[in-house]
Amino acid sequence: MLHSRVRFIGILSVSALAAFAGACNRDTPGASSGKPRVALVLKTLNNPFFIDMQRGAERAAKDLNIDLVVQAADRETDVERQMQIVENLIQAHVGALALTPSGSREVVPVVGKANASNIPVVIVDTRLDQKAATDAGVKIASFVGSDNYRGGQLVGQYLVKASNGHARVAILEGIPGHETGDSRVRGFKDAIKDSPGVTIVASQPANWERDQGFNVFQNILQAHADIDTVFACNDIMALGAIEAIAAAGKAGRIRVLGFDAIDDARRAITEGRMTATVAQYPDEMGRAAIEAAVKAMKGEAVAADIGVRIGLITKENAARESEKK
Amino acid sequence: MRPRLSASGRRLGTLAGLFALCALLWALTPHFLTVSNLLNVLEQTSINAVIAAGMTFVIISAGIDLSVGSLVAVAGVVLASALHAGAPTAIAMAASLAVGCGFGLLNGLAITWGRLPPFIATLGMMSIARGCALLFTEGRPVSGFDPAFRSIATARLAGIPAPVFVTTAVYVLAHAVLSETRFGRYVYSIGGNEEATRLSGVNVRLHKTLVYGVSGLASAVAAVLLTARLNSAQPIAGIMYELDAIAATVIGGTSLMGGEGGLGGTIIGALIMGVLRNGLNLLGVSSFVQQIVIGLVIVVAVLIDTVLKSRKP
Repeated sequence: MLHSRVRFIGILSVSALAAFAGACNRDTPGASSGKPRVALVLKTLNNPFFIDMQRGAERAAKDLNIDLVVQAADRETDVERQMQIVENLIQAHVGALALTPSGSREVVPVVGKANASNIPVVIVDTRLDQKAATDAGVKIASFVGSDNYRGGQLVGQYLVKASNGHARVAILEGIPGHETGDSRVRGFKDAIKDSPGVTIVASQPANWERDQGFNVFQNILQAHADIDTVFACNDIMALGAIEAIAAAGKAGRIRVLGFDAIDDARRAITEGRMTATVAQYPDEMGRAAIEAAVKAMKGEAVAADIGVRIGLITKENAARESEKK
Repeated sequence: MRPRLSASGRRLGTLAGLFALCALLWALTPHFLTVSNLLNVLEQTSINAVIAAGMTFVIISAGIDLSVGSLVAVAGVVLASALHAGAPTAIAMAASLAVGCGFGLLNGLAITWGRLPPFIATLGMMSIARGCALLFTEGRPVSGFDPAFRSIATARLAGIPAPVFVTTAVYVLAHAVLSETRFGRYVYSIGGNEEATRLSGVNVRLHKTLVYGVSGLASAVAAVLLTARLNSAQPIAGIMYELDAIAATVIGGTSLMGGEGGLGGTIIGALIMGVLRNGLNLLGVSSFVQQIVIGLVIVVAVLIDTVLKSRKP
């Protein structure tokens, strides 16, 4: 029985620790501050994009004088865990919920549960699958995100201007079926369609990854030696393509266009190895999401679609933009 | 043979730990001890609990199964594709269970006939099965099923979510197999002393192979619940589920050395993990702190076992 008692004490002491951690946490939804509570559920907290989003949300919460709870699954792929977190927050009776879906279709059932509990849901960054949402009859208060289609257009328009309407382009796509990548490609294609001199000679997926960006673009270069522009649907793939260009001894002769404006890409642009990228502003996304959630909680009207600004980054503004960060 | 009292004593300790944890959360947040939240916890625990039931067989036999998360993905995409191909629900589910069990048996064969350490065989299968799931679906999720199938996860009987009934059935059945059948006794005896079991005339290879089949089958049952719950089967589903299942099993007092433990402990272990995660969400504890707390619970639970065992004469 000694065994049983020690085990009991062990688990109890760890529980106590958990409780202590809870008590120390100022976000505690159980705390009776009397302020309304809003939750932000992210895909993950180990990606700078979402950490910036959290910062923006926290500032908005402070300005609006509400309690903000930020939670995320350990892994971006674990959509079931994200579902559990949302279920638990529903049980905690949060006033409103902002959610970045880990799966466009997979989170639809839990959004339905929030609907059933009359908790307004603001979807952030990644849209719900339209069909799944309609089939399940779920409702969201608003969508907050940057317009990927518009971003693709910005890149396309820039290319038409920079190349005087003459370019041979390779596209590196994201994972097939990802809404964000597909929209970026669509925007890009629509922007160049009135310029017959700008032609797409190859378009292949490199699955958002740097090494695949390298390999795929190296292969494309073998097949089409006359390519003078590459548009990668994210900067990571663009950086891979830059290495492939250097390996082929064509550095400086091929325009590299990316998306996301991550720090490495900004540096590459400043150093002249990359041409342009599109900046998203996750902190503004976080702020807009919390503002929309609070409005929805109070029953005020909220726009169904809230676009967050995006901007083209080129050598002219890369350094200036970095400083602002 | 270790006296039975020790095992039941350990289980009592774990159970007391679970109650203490609940009491603590009850004191800390008004949202924990409500009927709807407790049902919510049971529902959330069901998937891990079902996988852990299979894992318990494996660990009692002194093995380990790292492939369960990937088997969840394979069984899930098979189920979803069969449903999309128009197969009746029962047939699709049978196909999924067969695939899960089949992959599990392959693990078993690699371990028994191939003489691979379970860690290596199932590590290989973890990657093979994941690759199969991705290849089979071209990396895309398969989603959207009719409500009749989804009721396995969404229906409520007398207010209790259906997955709770599924989990209960799995545990009743698994417990009966483990404690009442010859196979169950062999599992303990293989884990306790494999060589002695072989010398006493038991077909160790056969029974060890079956153990991994059981684990694969349990993963497939979990896959059915998961697919119905998310209304989607993802080839990337179940990543790292093996660690949750192993954690539930060892928190429940089943020894990684094999030969002892049981399903009563495992379900309590799974509930401790479920309650902790739920409680930490309700309290709004940072996601990073949650990972530390879960890790500490696992380490402390096993540490106590190890320390006490080393003290025994």
